[in-house]
Amino acid sequence: MPPGLDNLRHIVVLMMENRSFDHMLGSLTAVNPQIDGITDQLGNPDTTGALIKPQPLAQFQGQLDPDPDHHFPAVDLQIFGGDTSPNRVANMQGFVKSYFNQQKDVGHSQKIMYYFAQNQLPVLTTLALEFAVFNRWFASIPGPTICNRAFAHYGTSFGRVDMNLLYINEPFKSIYDRLISANPKHTAKLYYYDTTSSTMEITNLLENQPELFGTYQQFLNDCSTGNLPDYSFIEPNFSDHDSDSGEEVASDQHPDHNIQAGELFIASVYNAIKQNPNLWQSTALLVVYDEHGGIYDHVVPPACTPDQFTASANDTGTGQSFAFDRLGVRVPAILISPWIPKGTVVDGRVFDHASIPATITKFFLGDYSPRSPRETSADVFIEPNVQPVDPARNLLSLAAMRTDCPDFDV
Amino acid sequence: MTLVHVPRPPQSALNPDRPVNTLLKAQIQHLHEAERNLPPRHRTDIYINAIKTEGEAAEYIRRVTTAIHKAHEEAAAKRGRGIVIAAAADDGEGSGRRRTTTAKRKHKAAQGSRRS
Repeated sequence: MPPGLDNLRHIVVLMMENRSFDHMLGSLTAVNPQIDGITDQLGNPDTTGALIKPQPLAQFQGQLDPDPDHHFPAVDLQIFGGDTSPNRVANMQGFVKSYFNQQKDVGHSQKIMYYFAQNQLPVLTTLALEFAVFNRWFASIPGPTICNRAFAHYGTSFGRVDMNLLYINEPFKSIYDRLISANPKHTAKLYYYDTTSSTMEITNLLENQPELFGTYQQFLNDCSTGNLPDYSFIEPNFSDHDSDSGEEVASDQHPDHNIQAGELFIASVYNAIKQNPNLWQSTALLVVYDEHGGIYDHVVPPACTPDQFTASANDTGTGQSFAFDRLGVRVPAILISPWIPKGTVVDGRVFDHASIPATITKFFLGDYSPRSPRETSADVFIEPNVQPVDPARNLLSLAAMRTDCPDFDV
Repeated sequence: MTLVHVPRPPQSALNPDRPVNTLLKAQIQHLHEAERNLPPRHRTDIYINAIKTEGEAAEYIRRVTTAIHKAHEEAAAKRGRGIVIAAAADDGEGSGRRRTTTAKRKHKAAQGSRRS
């Protein structure tokens, strides 16, 4: 058994908000050409027909206002460039056109192509270069937040492509239910930032199982006292608000929230795990974004196994139904563990948020049903800790734990 | 081992008066659905269509989230179980909570993203 898997006891997922891979990590191609980011060949036409190339001019705040449209019809335009014909081919040529639709301002619409320079994002880019960055991790749906986050909790959005996910008593259990009702029992927790930020999973889990939730302060305490559950899902702070300990700046990185606040938050999660030596050697942390937020990425989302649900033409808003047979736009995803070789680039494999419950289930529970068709067919980012482990698929592959992992000065 | 410096956001990053975004609007809508299932004594009197800013949204979200936890705690207590719901106790929710003044906000904004 590889020692990294043998030692692994905890998996933590931090899901941020609304940024594409190219926007956040595209600059890293210049550092490591294996990372599939920004190159000179990329561009999008604006509404005058001019070719707009990606430029490292992204700003921490104030640039993507209004919030770029990332609901199903807009993402359809972004992916297909406005082609609505039956045999259309995805080309990722509609991002500038889509953003233009919101303000009818040609100059402003070009900002959707901007990306961050490496030195602007010292936390995310360091983690990507130090651990395992995924070249092909996509949002689960070409649509907005809540349906995409549902894939991380349930492996499906129960047929929804929008924010109106008001499901109850659907056939598939949440990953948390699966774990806590298993025999032997496992532990799981959703940590929202605080009660004022709360969670984006309300109408099932918060409403019916509030005992599953903790706060970020509790996460910090659980890390320092060695009481982290087997599986933890962390939500960032979704709003600027007051708290009894002061003012809290939104850390979710959702436009137009400040990017640096999110960087601090990611570093804080990493530090909390790393500062407990026992936890550091036995934990894998996945940092991932829920969807691209309408921001440019150049990789065409691939087709995928259809879910058993279909969204109606009325629900998609495009005049066409959707069988959940295509992934959403690519997002940043980084797997962190001291057992991962520095500079790992995961290429040639496709992941989406259904990979999260698929991985947690396979690792902790093994065979399990029922699960959605999408989850059943999703790739896993951590192999189960049973023999035989395919060495080519095991990312926690080092024979000895690294001692050169970075620290963040938070 | 490398020590990476992480810059803090400027004090101008904080803006509770920012118009509420579509994500928070959806969160409010979901909490409103959940609130309708609460016992009447736990419901807020907030008219959600009048919520316009992040600060206002945050206050509604805090009150309903707290109410959901409290309603479950009460129900658990009635059943005689001792379910511990740590999340409800994190930030002093309840009648004694104070709003921060603008001056205090500006002062604290200078101290970093989490200002304590």
